Amino acid sequence: MFALEAQHVRKTYGGVTALADAGLRVRPGTVHALLGENGAGKSTLVKIITGAVRPDAGVLRLEGSDVSFSDTADAARHGVAVVSQELSLFPDLDVLSNMFPMREPRRGPFVDRRRMAALARPILDQLGLRVSLKDRVGDLSLAQRQLLEVAKALVTDPRVLILDEPTSALDSKTAEVLLDILRVLRDRQVAVVFVSHILEEVMALCDEVTILRDGRTVLDAAPLAGLTIPKIVESMLGERHAELAETRPEATVDLSGTVGAPDGSGVLRVQDVSVEDRLEGVSLTAAPGEVVGMAGVAGAGHQVVLELVAGLRQPSSGQVLLPDGSPAPKGLRAAIARGVALVTGDRRRLGLMLDKPIWDNAGQVRSVALARDGLLVRKGALRRRAGEHAGRVNLRTSSLDKSAGLLSGGNQQKVVLMKWLQTQPSVLLLDDPTRGVDIGAKAEMHGLVRSVAEAGAVVLLCSTDLDELATLCDRVFVLHHGRVCAELAGETLRQHEILAAMNTGSVATA
Amino acid sequence: MTSSTTDAPRPDVEPAAGATTNGGGPLGVVKRAFGMESASVLVATVALILVIGAIHPDFLDPRQLRDVLQQSVYVAILAAGVAFLLAMREIDLSVGAIFGLTLICSAILMRDGWNPWVAVVAGVVLGALLGLANALIVQVFRIPAIVATLATLSMFRGLSLALSNGQQVVGLPLDHAFFDIFGGRVLGIPVSVLVLVVVAIVLTFVLRTTPFGYRIRSIGSNPDAAAFSGISVARVRIQALMLMGGLAGLAGMLGLAFFGSGDPNIGSGFELLAIAAAVIGGTQLRGGSATVVGAMLGAVLLSVVTSGLVYFNIPVNWSSFATGAVILIAVGIDSLLRRRREARAAAAGL
Repeated sequence: MFALEAQHVRKTYGGVTALADAGLRVRPGTVHALLGENGAGKSTLVKIITGAVRPDAGVLRLEGSDVSFSDTADAARHGVAVVSQELSLFPDLDVLSNMFPMREPRRGPFVDRRRMAALARPILDQLGLRVSLKDRVGDLSLAQRQLLEVAKALVTDPRVLILDEPTSALDSKTAEVLLDILRVLRDRQVAVVFVSHILEEVMALCDEVTILRDGRTVLDAAPLAGLTIPKIVESMLGERHAELAETRPEATVDLSGTVGAPDGSGVLRVQDVSVEDRLEGVSLTAAPGEVVGMAGVAGAGHQVVLELVAGLRQPSSGQVLLPDGSPAPKGLRAAIARGVALVTGDRRRLGLMLDKPIWDNAGQVRSVALARDGLLVRKGALRRRAGEHAGRVNLRTSSLDKSAGLLSGGNQQKVVLMKWLQTQPSVLLLDDPTRGVDIGAKAEMHGLVRSVAEAGAVVLLCSTDLDELATLCDRVFVLHHGRVCAELAGETLRQHEILAAMNTGSVATA
Repeated sequence: MTSSTTDAPRPDVEPAAGATTNGGGPLGVVKRAFGMESASVLVATVALILVIGAIHPDFLDPRQLRDVLQQSVYVAILAAGVAFLLAMREIDLSVGAIFGLTLICSAILMRDGWNPWVAVVAGVVLGALLGLANALIVQVFRIPAIVATLATLSMFRGLSLALSNGQQVVGLPLDHAFFDIFGGRVLGIPVSVLVLVVVAIVLTFVLRTTPFGYRIRSIGSNPDAAAFSGISVARVRIQALMLMGGLAGLAGMLGLAFFGSGDPNIGSGFELLAIAAAVIGGTQLRGGSATVVGAMLGAVLLSVVTSGLVYFNIPVNWSSFATGAVILIAVGIDSLLRRRREARAAAAGL
């Protein structure tokens, strides 16, 4: 008997198939890992189980009986609870109020705090969360808040509890706490679904594994006992990925003259850099013309390297030398003035002014922030330059007056690239640049990134997309717990090796 | 949208595409100078004047209209500064108090024998310094400008009262050229109104063609993206609050020239009028855009309302209510029209 059963689930968005034939069977009293590469369909499946999305086809059963949820509240009533790691607590309210959001027991028109306390206390005790019910949640530690998040889910006495993607690697102490929580949940006969991309944690915490690949279940409720990380990686990526990527993106446009040529070697050097609790003795170099990738599970430290180069963070030892030969400055502004450009996947929040026209966005760094055009900013000049760059990056729009918010994701990212190319950068930092853009736009973006490199800039890329790392980069540094554990290039630069190194900290000898 | 190699750049992304929207001819120039947003407040102001004039023709007397304009100058200058602040999602509630304090301080200096020209320059500089004080409080204590300036509103007003002992500051050298010039008229137009026009031109130019103006609007549009592009939000905030203070000081000097004495309570409530004027003028509270001319016209509209109500025998105790009602109607209609325009623009894919 399974607590939760999903079978032959299908879901397409527009013409894109998110789930082709996915299934998940979870036994009560077990911790079940749901694994898969980016885009394998994990999050879609979770959304369907929690009622956030309706499937096109497929069966959903809770303890043997068919169910169909109209929304997330409906799923919650049926005993499906989610703990998302983007904490959803109210920091200004106390512990007790946080445990009963929108469903406080009442006595007449008043909230019945005494009954709330009677319900909450045993759960907190069971989880070993030693806080007063009157403590302000904002004053709790991160670990305590995570526990409270679980306690909040347990108040509803769920039959299925989904722990969705931890955003960062857990340190050993928090991991122990999590182990304890899972023990409690097993005792309570809850079926736990643990969604993660950090395989080490999965190995330590889970009983069974289901793996999705391209929207299909390729490994169905297999006991973890017989599995190893390399085997899991094999299932996640499949056979076809084992080959070297055949289609490496080529430079698609000529961007010569759009990147800066600083004095000095032109090579970006990170020399034996440490940052307290984040990086330890990391060294790497990136030369002009190269696309150098950095991989790691969340929190492994690869993004810290980008922050160091961008001046957002200072090394506690070692040094970061920009292509002009001097150390990376303190502060983003100074770094930008020295030729660093930064394109993030979060283009809507950090990249664009959505209500402003394309030409305005495109001039934001060069003409506005750096005031390189002098004391006056002429709209005509901004438009002309934006037009030139729009042609170069092949931006598709009916007019440069169109608001950036109305463009497609791929075109938005091109506008972000346009605004940086105007500064003639010598270093291009990319953080998950193709997050959430469709496949065609992604290929185009890859071509542009190669073009930037070809034109003579240093390109440093962090990505959660293994395919992107394996095909776009010349070399990939893999970080593990703040150290470089592998440098992959040529023959060894394949998704398998990257994923295995990210998760084990050593290069697989396959 | 499948491949980068098959699609050639479309011709309509070429630079020439922009030339059409700039518009030509005198009408285009007027449109650009006033901007879309301020056009509607201009129409509303003229319409209101005509309606009042149709019922009470006395209102259309050029001298009456001149007085209406003259009275609106101080709030209009403050409103222009407030529009800058709103455009970057900031606000300054102390502008009326800065207006009053600079006026009082300059009046005291003149009374004590300073050369009026020096005292006037000192007044404007004092305004900018008070703005700097606001900015530093925001910066050092990390509190929102609305809270910081709520406190300094009281402090600055209190200083006006303390320095003047709560009395009118009188005994100024009214025969000095400063009072003649800035309290007088040229070709029948009050000089303060001419100053207002100059301020409007300069500020519009600053807002639309300098990096500072672009930074203000960038920050208001998306503060995170602005910071990520290398714009120092703190520095721009300091500059904007200093500009605001300097403008309040300038308004204070014009007020001093006109009134010829220093009333420690002058300018009370101007902050809210200035915010109302900026909003009526089409500057949005969510930031990202501003119109200087619109904010000033908004102040004129408010002035028309207050002056016009006098003609309608509205009991004096109801005039505040009536002013508020008119503001609400003006802003409400404007918001509805704007939403319709935006919906149409979105439907057209722009």
